Amino acid sequence: MDKISALMDGELDDLQAQQQLGRISQDRTIREAWEAFHLIGDAMRGERALSSRFSSLLAERMMREPTVLAPRPRVARRLTSFALSAAASIAAVAAVGWIAFFNSPPALQTELAKAPVAPLPAPAPSAQLASVPNDGKMSEYLIAHQEFSPSTAIQGVAPYIRSVSSTQPVAAGQ
Amino acid sequence: MLEAIGRLGSATSTAASAGKASAGCARTFLLLSLVTPAVIAADSSPSPDGVAWLKKMAAASRQLNYSGTFVYHHAGRSETSRIVHYVNSAGGEFEKMETLDGPAREIIRTNDQVTCYLPESRTILIEKRGKRRFPALLPEQLGGVSDNYAVRLLGSDRVADFDCQVIDLKPRDKLRYGHRFCAERNTGLPLRARTFSEKNEPLESFAFTELRIGGRFDRDRVRSRYATKSRDWRVDHSAFSIADMPAETGWVLTRQPTGFRKLTEMKRSFAGRSFKVSHIVYSDGLAAVSVFIEPLPKARIARSLSHQGAVNIYIRPVSDYMVTVLGEAPAATVMQIANSLEFRGAQPR
Repeated sequence: MDKISALMDGELDDLQAQQQLGRISQDRTIREAWEAFHLIGDAMRGERALSSRFSSLLAERMMREPTVLAPRPRVARRLTSFALSAAASIAAVAAVGWIAFFNSPPALQTELAKAPVAPLPAPAPSAQLASVPNDGKMSEYLIAHQEFSPSTAIQGVAPYIRSVSSTQPVAAGQ
Repeated sequence: MLEAIGRLGSATSTAASAGKASAGCARTFLLLSLVTPAVIAADSSPSPDGVAWLKKMAAASRQLNYSGTFVYHHAGRSETSRIVHYVNSAGGEFEKMETLDGPAREIIRTNDQVTCYLPESRTILIEKRGKRRFPALLPEQLGGVSDNYAVRLLGSDRVADFDCQVIDLKPRDKLRYGHRFCAERNTGLPLRARTFSEKNEPLESFAFTELRIGGRFDRDRVRSRYATKSRDWRVDHSAFSIADMPAETGWVLTRQPTGFRKLTEMKRSFAGRSFKVSHIVYSDGLAAVSVFIEPLPKARIARSLSHQGAVNIYIRPVSDYMVTVLGEAPAATVMQIANSLEFRGAQPR
């Protein structure tokens, strides 16, 4: 999603832009998000004439979620911030939520507007992210950390081996 | 007082080293001993003695001349290394560690610099600290140990043919790991250090298999064998100066884990990057967790969790920044710190 918003903000070079436009044409979810981003951007810039009811629903929604839709100086930045406030999961939920809102018939939109606003889900808890062995790319971080670790104060240079520990798997028979 | 301990240690060790030097052969590291630690007598003493032993271990590591072979055991793997530590007459400290298994690697540590030679990738990593050493940091670093761990003396053991005192640190909650040290009885030099998970499984172990305490200072033994060969290797510099600490980075923790205090905070040069990186360190007295905050790289990054022995590493993007949190603490603690980071600074980042 952040590549899509980068495309909108004109931040991609030609090759990347081509790739992202290809994704938009092939993937329905991404296309709907793309359309929603443009709709929101246009509405915020006042370029699109929307029904007065939509405007009031939007205003009501903004009042209920001020931190997500807080105004920022540049519209493009505002859009990116709206979509990517903390984590990709929030962006996905926000995009899908807005799309569902726009695509539903007017009666349903009223219902949706009346429904209590559930708080956006927090980022996935730690249990869902499996830990993998260090691939040896963190040496500088580990060395910088060791300087301040009490394990170094107590043991001297020995714990620095964590920073350069061999990542080769143990072969069978060794 | 530290000097007195040092002199006492040197006097005792000179007499002892004559006998120990002949023990030359390396000992096999017994994997079984990881699972069932051989503790002879459960003779618990109140915690002030236990913390005193931690300070004694730290003083001995810094002040004594010693050399030996040690094994780093983690995740079912062993890596053996040779280690040499010297203090010269001016109080300058020199240490060298070289791996004996797998790809050759060397780490040289002097008063003001840590240099890491990686011949396989023809790379040198340099971490420069300001000219002055950190004697003041040690009491600060160990502060809070008794609050967060139940510290007990657990009788005697024998490591690398030396009698040693066992010091046990049991975590008071799930935010930290358990530790057990064996310290040489006379000098206090740490001979074995182990970290245990919440389920009391060994995560990591450092243990000498062969050790000589004492001996004359010899500068050549702490030089890198790659010093001249590495002229055209890639060099990555990291540096910080004590004058730059602490410095406000503008980042705070909204939910600091119990028992962890901020040890230091700075903006520093790091890994050859053109911009400064924010580095904040939290500690509970025995474990430390570092937070690194830098601008997002061009390539998109996803959240990731990895581990290295007792160290857990968590990376996550936070708006325009990449946050890397790592330390000798459970993954949940490292992630809690990363997830509760917020920028509250007034300055443009």
